[in-house]
Amino acid sequence: MLSFLKKTLLVLGLLAGVSVSAKEAQKHKLQGMIDAALDVIYSDTYASLSVNEKQAKVRETLESGYNLDVMIRYAIGRNWRRMSEQEQLEVLELVKQLVLKAYVKALDGKDRPSVTLAELTETGKARMEIDSIVVLDAKTYFLVYRLRQMSSGWQIYDIVAENVSLSSNYREQIDDHFRKGSGADLITRLKDLLAKDEFNENTKI
Amino acid sequence: MKTQKFKRPLAWLSFIALLAVSTLSAQVRNLTEDEAFFYEEIDESADVYDPFESVNRYTFGFNDYVFSNTVQPLVDAYTAVTPDPVEEGASNFFHNLRYPVRLASNLLQGRFKGAWVETGRFAINSTVGIVGILTPADAYEGFVPINSEDFGQVFAVWGFSEGPYLVLPFLGPSNLRDLVGFVGDRAVNPLKEPFSVIDDWNWEWQLALSGTEYIARSPQIIERYKQLKNSAIDPYSSLKNGYTQYRRVAVAE
Repeated sequence: MLSFLKKTLLVLGLLAGVSVSAKEAQKHKLQGMIDAALDVIYSDTYASLSVNEKQAKVRETLESGYNLDVMIRYAIGRNWRRMSEQEQLEVLELVKQLVLKAYVKALDGKDRPSVTLAELTETGKARMEIDSIVVLDAKTYFLVYRLRQMSSGWQIYDIVAENVSLSSNYREQIDDHFRKGSGADLITRLKDLLAKDEFNENTKI
Repeated sequence: MKTQKFKRPLAWLSFIALLAVSTLSAQVRNLTEDEAFFYEEIDESADVYDPFESVNRYTFGFNDYVFSNTVQPLVDAYTAVTPDPVEEGASNFFHNLRYPVRLASNLLQGRFKGAWVETGRFAINSTVGIVGILTPADAYEGFVPINSEDFGQVFAVWGFSEGPYLVLPFLGPSNLRDLVGFVGDRAVNPLKEPFSVIDDWNWEWQLALSGTEYIARSPQIIERYKQLKNSAIDPYSSLKNGYTQYRRVAVAE
């Protein structure tokens, strides 16, 4: 009986260990992805790329680790059902482009930020948060990455920057839009935003 | 014996079929769970009361024009000609001057430790830090920077609700509670009207001080505003949500 108990405890302990290390692995994966994305913007290897090419490369890097659609779908919320299938696909793509463009532009002309991942907290069933400290231009910012286990694995569904949830922020913008507008209007709006202030093909940062 | 021969493969087939069905059903269940997750309410859902949206949007447009065409060129020129340490020193100086607001706000919320830390920081930074230009208090244990408190937070702790969302000309996003708080902040600020301790200041000096403070505080605000505008689908909604989330966390902390 004692031996059975010991074995059970050993198995449970091993399972818990595997679960903890799997979560820690997510932290390493996230750190690797952030570093790789910053390498695209700052490393000499990619210095010859234009802004648009860098955007594409950053996207490729991020998508190799995470499904960016998850964060956008979460931000769209129930408004997803108000769009046709074609509109859904187009909105996913355009929002992704808008966010990536803003991300690359935000770092334009600045020194490479240092990003350090800190505490990992389990926040519920299949959910976790990873704190991070970002030092950019001698100023410190706090970011929290929120992850959830989806059918496709652990995915980022929200980023909280200085206490402001980006998913909530986009959800409000999209909710406000759908109070008066349609999916087609949203697509027109997104296309206008992307066309505005378009980077020159050959611009370098 | 013959039956036995058939039984074993049949058992295996049944087992594999069962495994396939359960895997498939688990996948379907996970996909359904994914869908349900996308539709769930967000914890920080701001749900802002905005009955004056049309007026607010108009004021937002006005502020955006002023920011882009007047404040930003001024701030760009200021940051271009001012070395970073001077820029930081000016920002520290004006932050130090607002000590009475932070002290009163901490005391009125019963945050005595906060009041103590703010007082210690003010004493150290005003003396060793040369009238607040430097922040040597950062190095003293127990006097590291804490979150700034203001009268808007005081009213929140006293139980007043946010009231309608407002966009104020030149000042930007606010709400009724924070607007009243802003008046309270000015009332305890010894350098600001209506209760300025300096009687013989004429309006030119007041304007120069306020203008310099505005410009010194603007680089960070402009930077954040630009980032928000670049990534927003609707900058008005984005700022409304961002401001409200930020203030709610400040009150809760």
